[in-house]
Amino acid sequence: MRLAPTRRAVLLALGASTLALAARAQGPVPQVSDAPAAEARDAARRVPFHGPHQAGITTPRPENGLVASFDVVATSIDDLERMLRLLTDRARFLTEGGPVPDLDPALPPADSGLLGPVIQPDNLTITVALGASLFENQPWLAGLKPARLQRMAQFPNDALDPDLCHGDLSIQICANHRDSTMHALRDIVKTLSEFLVLRWMVEGDVPPVVPDARGATPSARNFLGFRDGSANPDSNDAALMDRIVWTGGPHEPGWAQGGSYQAVRIIRNMVERWDRAPLAEQERIFGRRKMSGAPLDNPDGTEHHVPDYAADPEGRITRHDAHIRLANPRDVESQRHLMLRRPFNYSRGVLPNGQLDQGLLFISYQADLEAGFIAVQNRLNGEPLEEYIKPVGGGYFFALPGVRDDADYLGRALVDAARRT
Amino acid sequence: MIAPLLRSAALGLALAGPALAADPSLDLVGPLSDYKIFVAENTAQLVTDAEAFAAAIKAGDLDRAKALFAPTRTSYERVEPIAELFSDLDVSIDARADDYEKAEQDPGFTGFHRIEYGLWSEGTTKGLEGHADRLLADIRELDGRITALTFPPEVVVGGAAVLMEEVAATKISGEENRYSRTDLWDFDANFEGAEKIYTLFRPLIAEDEADFVAKVDGNFQAVKDVLAKYETPEGGFVSYEELSDTDRNILSAKVNTLAEDLATLRGKLGLG
Amino acid sequence: MTHTPSRAGLGLAVAAAAMLAVTGGAAFWYATQRNAAANPEARADMTVTVGAETCDPQDITVPGGNRSFQIVNASDRPIEWEILNGVMVVAERENIAPGFRQTLTVQLAPGEYAITCGLLSNPRGTLHVTPSDEAMVAASEVTLRKFLGPLSEYRVYLVMESARAVKAAEALRDAIAAGDLAAAQAAWKAARIPYRHIEPLASRLADLENAIDPNAAYLAGQEDDPGFTGYHRLEYGLFGQNSTEGLGPVADRLVADLADLSGRLKGMTLDPALLIALPGAMAGQLATAHVPVGENRHAGNDLEELQASLDGIGKLTGLLRPVLAGVDPALEGDIAAAQDKAEQDLAGLRQGGAWPSYDQVPGDKRQALAGSLAALQTALDRMQPVIGIN
Repeated sequence: MRLAPTRRAVLLALGASTLALAARAQGPVPQVSDAPAAEARDAARRVPFHGPHQAGITTPRPENGLVASFDVVATSIDDLERMLRLLTDRARFLTEGGPVPDLDPALPPADSGLLGPVIQPDNLTITVALGASLFENQPWLAGLKPARLQRMAQFPNDALDPDLCHGDLSIQICANHRDSTMHALRDIVKTLSEFLVLRWMVEGDVPPVVPDARGATPSARNFLGFRDGSANPDSNDAALMDRIVWTGGPHEPGWAQGGSYQAVRIIRNMVERWDRAPLAEQERIFGRRKMSGAPLDNPDGTEHHVPDYAADPEGRITRHDAHIRLANPRDVESQRHLMLRRPFNYSRGVLPNGQLDQGLLFISYQADLEAGFIAVQNRLNGEPLEEYIKPVGGGYFFALPGVRDDADYLGRALVDAARRT
Repeated sequence: MIAPLLRSAALGLALAGPALAADPSLDLVGPLSDYKIFVAENTAQLVTDAEAFAAAIKAGDLDRAKALFAPTRTSYERVEPIAELFSDLDVSIDARADDYEKAEQDPGFTGFHRIEYGLWSEGTTKGLEGHADRLLADIRELDGRITALTFPPEVVVGGAAVLMEEVAATKISGEENRYSRTDLWDFDANFEGAEKIYTLFRPLIAEDEADFVAKVDGNFQAVKDVLAKYETPEGGFVSYEELSDTDRNILSAKVNTLAEDLATLRGKLGLG
Repeated sequence: MTHTPSRAGLGLAVAAAAMLAVTGGAAFWYATQRNAAANPEARADMTVTVGAETCDPQDITVPGGNRSFQIVNASDRPIEWEILNGVMVVAERENIAPGFRQTLTVQLAPGEYAITCGLLSNPRGTLHVTPSDEAMVAASEVTLRKFLGPLSEYRVYLVMESARAVKAAEALRDAIAAGDLAAAQAAWKAARIPYRHIEPLASRLADLENAIDPNAAYLAGQEDDPGFTGYHRLEYGLFGQNSTEGLGPVADRLVADLADLSGRLKGMTLDPALLIALPGAMAGQLATAHVPVGENRHAGNDLEELQASLDGIGKLTGLLRPVLAGVDPALEGDIAAAQDKAEQDLAGLRQGGAWPSYDQVPGDKRQALAGSLAALQTALDRMQPVIGIN
């Protein structure tokens, strides 16, 4: 057969990089349309589904993530319970993995097949959160809305597209590979079509970085080329997380203990214009060195050095309106406004004006939405960075408390509370 | 269409669901032929309605032409899975401006939606006379071709899901009848067409698939209940713009779930 | 909400384009086949990428049989992708969103097809399906499924034509009730046509057949027999006695019996064996009974009715021939030829564009027509062993 030489010719035509790859691999020479080799270890990694809190909030962020927002079609508390139980079942299966059931081939298959006959967990997390509209539109949920949950209001620099805003329910899906997040989303859209109507969806990723000798990686870069997340609180510090991420206390309804407020913002970056801005200007706007991430008052330091704003009261080194100084002035007061950020970069083709549609899928979690995201964003209003960014969508949601075991389901406490009232 | 080869290859596997009949039964003949009679009645009605519609346009009666647009379309939309088997006529009768490079200005843009554009966006019957003649001729041709056609069974049974997919893809969003906003008429007709197919074949599965038919019955009823809120006393429908977000969501959820469920009908009837 | 084709999608498209450029269509087909074999999860036989203006590849060759196509939408608007046989859509996938892919699996018989590529104004691609063992096996396999279309279509025909027969009989009854002989005579002739169309099956319902269509020659009392009812009793009155006198109750009964027939035909279970048997039996009946001696001895319009009978047979063979064509094309040809011969023999009896009265048709012409109908029966009866199933 003349196929092999032909395929080799194709490889040759496609250039040396492919050949280099081929040479490195042991065993068969890879073909141009073969799937890229994956790490079996990555695919087998599993994030526990059960626990006091949902996974996907303090879980280390994998390479891929998306947020999908839905309108909920439920006319009774029974509908809501069926929906939440079904959603829990799917999330439990998808995050734990396992074989896809075989159906009669005369029927549509049980699964999209994106991941083959056996679903690998792939570090998948599925995080479900509820929007204010769900509580406001359903009389049987009256009085049960989490204390700080509200409809996202427009900030001065926002140009919100109604088709990219709000929703009754959000699902954040994260995994090592994009196929896993997409597979999970399609599974949910298919199995919950009776209850969930998709409003909008944005997917993104963060670039993997080779770890240093100690196994640590720096914060990932956003599409403006800056490291994002340098000052994020330590997600392994359980006590800190209890204070700034997880809801609790008498001001919240009893069912809403152990959840978290989720703020999602779809922030377009005007990357062409940004790339034409002088480097010094870019660094002044952020308050950090672009390559290292070091604060401007410690230019040879690392991204983890804490800037000393007390030594710079005039804002000569780090301007008062620099992004990081506004977002976190490092004073006593700012300890009240901490939040845990979990963003992804998105890229969605080309806008009608011929510019790239790229930006940040900003996601943050906090115990108090007003003290967290809203307060910080209000401080950022008017920052010079606004010239290069434009929030176009998003919404506020309340991430439900965790699912404790096989008998439990997402939002059980809410359903029970609604039945009691 | 699953080949016998594929099916026999799959027989060796353990199946998670119930095994389905490998071959269809003769019981399908009754519903299949009843469906053709339903289609024939609709295309006959379509010819009659199109004659009146074309006459109104050629008489320059703008109001009457606008009033007849939506009701004339319903007979076409009810039987769309069969009507669209004839690609040349489907394009000529029902293509949308999006299908053409120059959109509304494209000389290839003809049929219902070209006339709709003229009546609503241009506000006149002038210049539509030729389109009206052509539409009527196309519809007569369609009627003749459908009479002569032996309906492929899998197209008939699969048509229920196809109609729901059609609604989910273009009617829910209100992009089909964008000039006249009469989308709810089409929605209702697609829905009736799907329900007709389901109702004809339902007796063949009702006994073995009690849960399935109960769920599908419920979802059809839910769609009916929502649509009924938008009916006018004359038996038509209000503008798509009056559809509330809540009801649009209910329709969307039910229609997608119907599409999901009705997609199994072929397999359940041995026509996978 | 996804706007760009996935990276994987672009990769595939690039691969497809590169391979096509290097090796040409046929080798590409084998290469993808080989790939599919190496990777059991990849089910599609062929990937077709639809761009803004063309499909890639634009000209496809695949062997006949069950083929799957993965359609990748690399354009920036939703598309549908169709395989067309002339104007007929053989298979389609609708509403593929930009960047998305869908798989279409279809049973393809050898031949030339067209494929659509996005905008209606875009040039269509070609799909050349070559003969293959798989396609031959699929075509020659006789399954119940292949009969579902023909059986359903025949049931539609029975329902429609029996409804027409009732309507026509009602018109006849009304003309008789009005005492309008000329109108009643014309209505009688018209009323026979739909009945002749469905006679292959209607004549098998013995009780109704005896009430609707008895021949006086077979009754003990001939024209005076109390069992002489139906069409021919009316024919005897209208054409033999030139009167509508006393025919009212006979016409009422005929309408009722035809309505009964219509309901019975609608409720009958049709099966492939019956469908295959009907046309041959009808041709035989015409050859041995109707043609040699005539049937409408008073009205004399036999030729017109024979044409209606041939049309009724043609409906049946038209439905069966597609099933037969894949299994025994020679027999299909024989049947087509025998049917043409019978049609021509009958058409040859027309005089000045009209049917003469049957008593004008000489014996040798009748014999010739009977002979070609008998030959048609012989050909039709060969179907049962070839496509008959239990």
